[in-house]
Amino acid sequence: MQEEMLQDLDTHINNAVKDVFGTMLNYELEPMTITGDTWTMNGQPHVAGCVGFTGELNGVVYIYASEVFARRMASRLLGMDPQAVEAGEMICDTMGEIANMVAGPIKSRLSDNGMACVLTIPAIIRGTNFVVETVSSAERRFFAYRCAEGEVVTEVVIRHKNAN
Amino acid sequence: MVTRILTIDDSKTIRLLVARAFKPFDCQVIEAANGVEGLAVAAREKPDLIILDITMPVMDGYETLTRLKSNPELKNIPVIMLTAEAGRDNVLKIARLGVRDYLIKPFKEEQIIERAGRIVDLKTRGESSHGPKRFDEALQLLVVDDKPAIHELIRNGLSDTPWVVEGRVSAEQAIDYCSSCATPDVVLVSLSIPDNAAFNLFHMLRASVMTKNVPILAMSVKTALEEQVQATHIGFNGVITKPIDLTDLKTRVTRVLNLDTSYKYYQIRQGVMVLSLPQMLLPSILNEVSFHLRAKLVEGVDSGVNKLVIDMSQVQAPDVRLIKLGLQAMHFCSELSVRHSLIGSEAVCKECKSYEETKDWRFVNSFEEGLVALDGKQLAAV
Repeated sequence: MQEEMLQDLDTHINNAVKDVFGTMLNYELEPMTITGDTWTMNGQPHVAGCVGFTGELNGVVYIYASEVFARRMASRLLGMDPQAVEAGEMICDTMGEIANMVAGPIKSRLSDNGMACVLTIPAIIRGTNFVVETVSSAERRFFAYRCAEGEVVTEVVIRHKNAN
Repeated sequence: MVTRILTIDDSKTIRLLVARAFKPFDCQVIEAANGVEGLAVAAREKPDLIILDITMPVMDGYETLTRLKSNPELKNIPVIMLTAEAGRDNVLKIARLGVRDYLIKPFKEEQIIERAGRIVDLKTRGESSHGPKRFDEALQLLVVDDKPAIHELIRNGLSDTPWVVEGRVSAEQAIDYCSSCATPDVVLVSLSIPDNAAFNLFHMLRASVMTKNVPILAMSVKTALEEQVQATHIGFNGVITKPIDLTDLKTRVTRVLNLDTSYKYYQIRQGVMVLSLPQMLLPSILNEVSFHLRAKLVEGVDSGVNKLVIDMSQVQAPDVRLIKLGLQAMHFCSELSVRHSLIGSEAVCKECKSYEETKDWRFVNSFEEGLVALDGKQLAAV
């Protein structure tokens, strides 16, 4: 994949994440440096919202957050007390919807550049220690952010449909 | 009638957000988790508006919309598409399917209200479910004038009412107030705020769902006739001239809000309705009393109160308008079989002697005597 295009995509991913967290949750995200290309959960329960896109390009957008922060996000989004947020459904639904909102502009950018694709239904991964592995031909982009209430990591995996 | 809005979205979070956005309005929000369910609910409930997601399991938004538009019974229901995809192709595809509007995620609740408000008539809950507000309620008055002294003047002048006066010095501050605080009951805007801002503010308030029905009164110096004509022409609910007559201001606010002032004149005491007239019988007061008269008597009769005492003991300068009001009261009492007695000041008794229709009216001196008279016992005529 061309470097220029990846840089353009990086800008869009950054803008999308900041826009979603700013508009829906009123969080001002600050970029955060992470070491290497992975990010550890430190044994804390985490939730990842994932939305795939498929077409000329195939890929997945992951949004990772600790379960504590995910609960705060859900409570903030719905204007509810954090304790009133249902542990399973509401947190998962919120993380899935955030992933969907971040994936939307990425998909739109790709489509506008002639790489038509469609989004999948959001899925959720939950656990205290999981790693997403990808095939070597895929591009992986990590973006980490922090705000006053927690940290969030966005991972975008992209692969051209004809890549080996 | 309650506006019915159907939100079709697989995300419970989004459905809750939509329901929350419409909470301040007289709306019923119905939910469906996918297109198939949504079509069934739409056919059954015939909503006034559908807010439709695109990416959904079972049946996506495109197919749902296509089926809606091909159903003669449902095709006229307006649809707002909610999508995370802002790309050209997606927008064109949505437009071709015949949606009324679309909203890109992420979105603010105000945006969804604004879009929906362009399509359906959204009324705030208080607006349609309750009767008129009372004069003695804590009404919110937003005063927009670049001179804080005017805010203070109005605040002090209305200190004998429970009304709350919020002062703002610019149109921008007024808009911020309306979007972040409670919707005011009335807005007073000085036409002299710089850059024609009063007129811009008027249009912005009218364009917002939250304030589109809020009465807006212009404040203008007496001699600035041109701007007063312009304000009336574009639709201000009235013009108050400076220097401000605070009694007139109260009357104007009462009128534009159609405030219920009847409690000031009509009370129930010891199972009897008492109509008390004040010392100064201004035309506006007589109008208010007359306006509420029949309704209050009917209300009394319906609740088992069929006796009326008209207390005119405070009235010092009676004239023919009072006589007319008295005759009107007698007429309604006769029509509704309400027994009545009259308490009059010396001036009222004297005035009544001068008219053929009222010369035989009998007056008593106090409420207690009025009760005795209502029970049919004879009292010496005053």
